[in-house]
Amino acid sequence: MPAAAAIKVMVVDDQASMRAMIRRALQDLGFKDVRDKAGPVEALDAVKSDRVHLIISDYNMPDMDGLQFLEAVRKDPVIGKTVFIMLTGSADKEIVQKAAALGVNNYVVKPFAPAALKEKIERVFGELT
Amino acid sequence: MKRFPIVQGEYRVVAEPGVMITTLLGSCIAVCLRDPVVRVGGMNHFLLSEPSPGSVVDEADMQRYGIHAMELLINEIMKLGGLRSRMRAQLYGGANVVAGLRGIGHANAAFARRFLETEGIAIGHADIGGRQARKVEFLPFEGKARCTLVAEPVPVAKAPAFVSGGEL
Repeated sequence: MPAAAAIKVMVVDDQASMRAMIRRALQDLGFKDVRDKAGPVEALDAVKSDRVHLIISDYNMPDMDGLQFLEAVRKDPVIGKTVFIMLTGSADKEIVQKAAALGVNNYVVKPFAPAALKEKIERVFGELT
Repeated sequence: MKRFPIVQGEYRVVAEPGVMITTLLGSCIAVCLRDPVVRVGGMNHFLLSEPSPGSVVDEADMQRYGIHAMELLINEIMKLGGLRSRMRAQLYGGANVVAGLRGIGHANAAFARRFLETEGIAIGHADIGGRQARKVEFLPFEGKARCTLVAEPVPVAKAPAFVSGGEL
C-alpha cells in the first residue's frame, strides 16, 4: 500500500481553475508533492528534469493534446513508464480507445468527484494510505 | 435569422453571422464568451447546485459543474480558432428567485466571476443578482448581447445528475 504522500504528481491542464481543483482534490487525498503545468510542452521539460510517479493530464489542450503528450511520454527512454491518467470529456470514446492503444493507465471522465479520481489512482497504485 | 435556445447544462458556439443563442435564466448563470478577432463565440447555461432540502452539498462538488461548463465553452471556441487571451465574457443571471434557495444565485455569480478572473478572461458586462428572471439573447458573430428582465417565474431545473465513470 503506497502512501499518497510518497507519490509525486504532475497535473497538466490549460485551465487554471481545473488545475487548482485537481490540486486541492489530491491534497485532500493525502498527496504532498503536486506540481502543475498549463501545457504538455512545459510539463515534459519539467518531468524530464525532475521525475514524477504520476501524470494526470487533460486531453483537450491547444498546443499539444493529451494523446500527443501521452505518446511523447511513452517514447521517452527515461520517463516512458510514468503512470499516466487522462481526463476526458464524456463523449470521447474514440480518444479513450486511442489512449489505451498508446498505453494510458486509466482515465477519468469530467466532471468528476474527488472520490472518482481516488478510485482511478488506486486501480493503478493500489489502495492509498 | 437562426435562433438556438439553450437550457441548463447546455452550451452552443457559433462562428457565422445571423445566428442567435437564447436562454431563460433564474438563479443559473449564462456566460457569453467571444473572441472578437475571429468572431467566434458562444454561450453556456449552468447551475452550480441546487441542494435538496436537508442535504449538504460540498462546495467542491458544486464547483466542478461550473468549471466543466466553462471548459466546454472555452474549448469549443478554441477549436474554431479562438484564443483564450482574446476572449471577453459577459455574465448574466444569478438571481435569487426561489424562496428557500436564497444565496444560490449569489454563489453562482461569485463562482463565475472568480473563474473568469482565475483564467484571465476580462468581463465586459455583467447583469447579475436581483430577484427577477432574465432572458438573454446573444449574437456571437456580431458581438451583440441583450438581456431583459422577465416577469413570469422560470421553472427551476434540477442540478445535472452526477456522471463519472469509465474503465479501461
